[in-house]
Amino acid sequence: MSVLNSRKHRLGARDNPTVGLFVSTDGGTTWNHKGWTGYIRIFYTEAGTDGNIWSACGNGVLRSTDGGNSWRITTGWQVTEVLKIKVDARAPGTAYAATAYGVFKTENGGETWQEHNRGFLKPFVSDIVIDKQQSARLLAATEDGVYLSSDGGTVWHRAGIDGRGVRTVAQHPTIKDLFFVGTEDDGVFISRDGGKNWTAANNGLKHLTVYSIACDRSNPDVLYLGTHGGGVYRSSDGGKSWQQKAEGLGNLVVHSIVMLPSNSSVVFAGTLNGGIFKSTDGGDHWNFNSQEEAQVWGLWAR
Amino acid sequence: MGEVSTSMAGRVLLVLIALGSVSIHSMAQMGSSPESRFEQRRLRLMDVVSQERDRGFFTVAAKLATGRDKEFALAMLDSLTSDESMGGMFYSYMAIGTYLRLKDQLPDTLLHKIRRAYRERTMYRGDTENHWVAYYTGLYLAAQTWPNEERSQWFNGKSSAENFKESEEWLSRWMTTTATIGQGEFDSPTYFTVFITPMITLFDFAKDPVMKRKAQMTADLLLADFAAEHLDGNYCGGHSRDYPEDIINPLSAPAALWAWLYFGEPKVELWQESRYRPRYRGGWETLFGAMSSYRLPDVIYRIATDRSKAYVHTETKRVRNIIRFGREKNPPVYKYTYMTHDYALGSLQGGILQPIQQHTWDVTYRSDKPNNTIFTLHPFYSGKELAMFFPEEQKFLADDVDRYHIVYTDPRKWNSSSPYEQTFQHKNAIIVLYDIYPEANHKHIDGFFPKNLDERIDDSSGWIFCRAGSVYAAVFPLRPYEWIEEKINWRWRSADLKNGIVLEVGCSDEDGTFESFKKNVIQSKPALNSSKDDLTVNYKTRRGDAMKFTFGGKRLLNGKTVDFRAYKLFNGPFIQSERGSGVITLTDGNNVRMLNFKKATIKEWQLSKN
Repeated sequence: MSVLNSRKHRLGARDNPTVGLFVSTDGGTTWNHKGWTGYIRIFYTEAGTDGNIWSACGNGVLRSTDGGNSWRITTGWQVTEVLKIKVDARAPGTAYAATAYGVFKTENGGETWQEHNRGFLKPFVSDIVIDKQQSARLLAATEDGVYLSSDGGTVWHRAGIDGRGVRTVAQHPTIKDLFFVGTEDDGVFISRDGGKNWTAANNGLKHLTVYSIACDRSNPDVLYLGTHGGGVYRSSDGGKSWQQKAEGLGNLVVHSIVMLPSNSSVVFAGTLNGGIFKSTDGGDHWNFNSQEEAQVWGLWAR
Repeated sequence: MGEVSTSMAGRVLLVLIALGSVSIHSMAQMGSSPESRFEQRRLRLMDVVSQERDRGFFTVAAKLATGRDKEFALAMLDSLTSDESMGGMFYSYMAIGTYLRLKDQLPDTLLHKIRRAYRERTMYRGDTENHWVAYYTGLYLAAQTWPNEERSQWFNGKSSAENFKESEEWLSRWMTTTATIGQGEFDSPTYFTVFITPMITLFDFAKDPVMKRKAQMTADLLLADFAAEHLDGNYCGGHSRDYPEDIINPLSAPAALWAWLYFGEPKVELWQESRYRPRYRGGWETLFGAMSSYRLPDVIYRIATDRSKAYVHTETKRVRNIIRFGREKNPPVYKYTYMTHDYALGSLQGGILQPIQQHTWDVTYRSDKPNNTIFTLHPFYSGKELAMFFPEEQKFLADDVDRYHIVYTDPRKWNSSSPYEQTFQHKNAIIVLYDIYPEANHKHIDGFFPKNLDERIDDSSGWIFCRAGSVYAAVFPLRPYEWIEEKINWRWRSADLKNGIVLEVGCSDEDGTFESFKKNVIQSKPALNSSKDDLTVNYKTRRGDAMKFTFGGKRLLNGKTVDFRAYKLFNGPFIQSERGSGVITLTDGNNVRMLNFKKATIKEWQLSKN
């Protein structure tokens, strides 16, 4: 199943006024709207290993236990402007919300939430990643660099790229200590030691605002970036160099990018105001796929 | 001195029953006390709204309350509750407000449809302060109306008890914040209406006496805040957010309709005046005011209408939540307003205090012509400014905002917050400085001068003199400028990066003739020091006060530093409040009304004649 978050821009949604979550179960051939029909400013969705679906929204964190047919806002007034929600694969009742006001955590499926901002100098958190090897180990993308927690978010410590806005953080699916971040103005940084040390990796990258990073599970050297203004970049050498892959992309502001787990040459790029584009040849060529004019803030696939 | 008891529930029903029999003839019999004039206006408003045909809850409520076109109204309500594309925070509070006011007249099918809307619609909470006030007011009253229902019965998957608790918490917190460190979307002629209407609705229908009283106190506070800067229907002074149409034509703002309803000014019925009602935004929120049991305290009425003496009124407000690129979450906003019988000069300290729609300063004057205002601005825009307040991507935000606030990036726009703009005001004189960085998107400043001024003279002294009836203004541009003719105004434009103006305002009561005003002003000429690292103006006002202002530096009045940190929450002859106290004292000089938000009490007493 692929899950996609689509948001038509607020005015001018002439052809399709529907906003919210769209799901495809056939590799992006067809998309079906799930759940909310009204505007809730949805930024990102992912499903836990128990099948429950979580959405990060302006209204808070939403959770569905029936495949997206019905939803509950799990958070109260304290949690708003949620940009990402990440679910612990080992404990699907545990989730972290990355918000404009910091990190909030639930350990009981969203019944209660606790603020986890100790250590942040600036708590605006765009993204968070749970270490696949150690669930208590987290990396957060903040306006003031990368932060690391070793205790499930109780305390955060600076981990590098200080003073720079970090938009996204990702862990390689098969190389456990390999992490990537995308920044507002400084391109990509790579850490090969679990997030302790970071090195810029911008060779060939002409657009240095990086919103999303995707790694090929079947070929550890293949990486994709979604950038502002440059569309998609691909690396075939683990980030040592990047090549722009924008042929056919009708919109070059790519905020989200995923590969189909079953076929990593099929890549989806979600754009802001241009909808979804699909490539079946690893990004060499793109075709419009769905959601004309939509702001596709997040894509997630399993 | 005594506690005010506010149990109004029974009174609402009586008022509604009486409405059907009120005629224009009987309205004319009502006499001329302030109360009876208010009664005439509210009945007039209900009558006018009941003739509307546009689909909306206010149209429905007015028609049902007056007994006009009942079948049409019920069909309209059916449409409003059947249309699945509708929802959101405004829908929420308007739907429950209509339900609670008129449930005795509604058939079961419509009552059930309204209930169902809270189960099936998306009631988006929104991303602004007024959105949240509307959302939580609607949710509070809906959860109160349908208690003890399970999570599955609500759009957000929360039970009645959970929704009620969350709404009560947030509303109480917002009220306390507003009364201690100030409102975020403060003093907005455009958005005032979407704060006061939920509060009045909450006052009418909250069953909890504490919440009911706090809603009443907040309505009092919002209206008193307006009243102190009110001049003949105009909401004067600096504004956090305002639509450009309302900035250049103050009486077209929704707040003016509330002034008409509660303050009795302006005297004209604004909806009859095409010059003040150029657009329709479904702006009949005042209908809920007209139907409410809330009554404006007399002391606030007098604050709004007593302009027998000129006065200085200062306020502290707060900046909307800064989520990044700032040191503080809610830095203070400092307001200074000088009110007279004929004009008001008001300003914020300048800088980015609100995104998109800030109106930093202006002169607004009493006039029977539209566009009765003069001001300048720097048309700033940047994605980073927006990203201070919104979580979306900063390189994307300016384009996104332009899609619905269409003028955001426009070099000719009439609302703007700018980091390159600062003010220093003393009574009826103001220095406005602009230190524009070379990398700014727009490198000019603009001024709005209405074409309907009776006189506008570019004097050889360097002053521009303006006259609108008995009100006079003198503007001294610090740099060369040009005039650009537009439909309703002259656009004054100056393109130097280190720039500014000095302005003095007066009127015939203060200055005699226009000639004598000009003569007095010309005696003094602003002295500008401008270098790469300095932008300073020295100016001696026509009243003899020495003002020295350095951009990014000190404001000196007669040699003494003006310290904004000494500002109270409110400070003026009509309203007093220490920051953080939660105690707001309203007075007209004879009577006092004290709102204590920490104790949720209202006290009233008369001042001793001694």
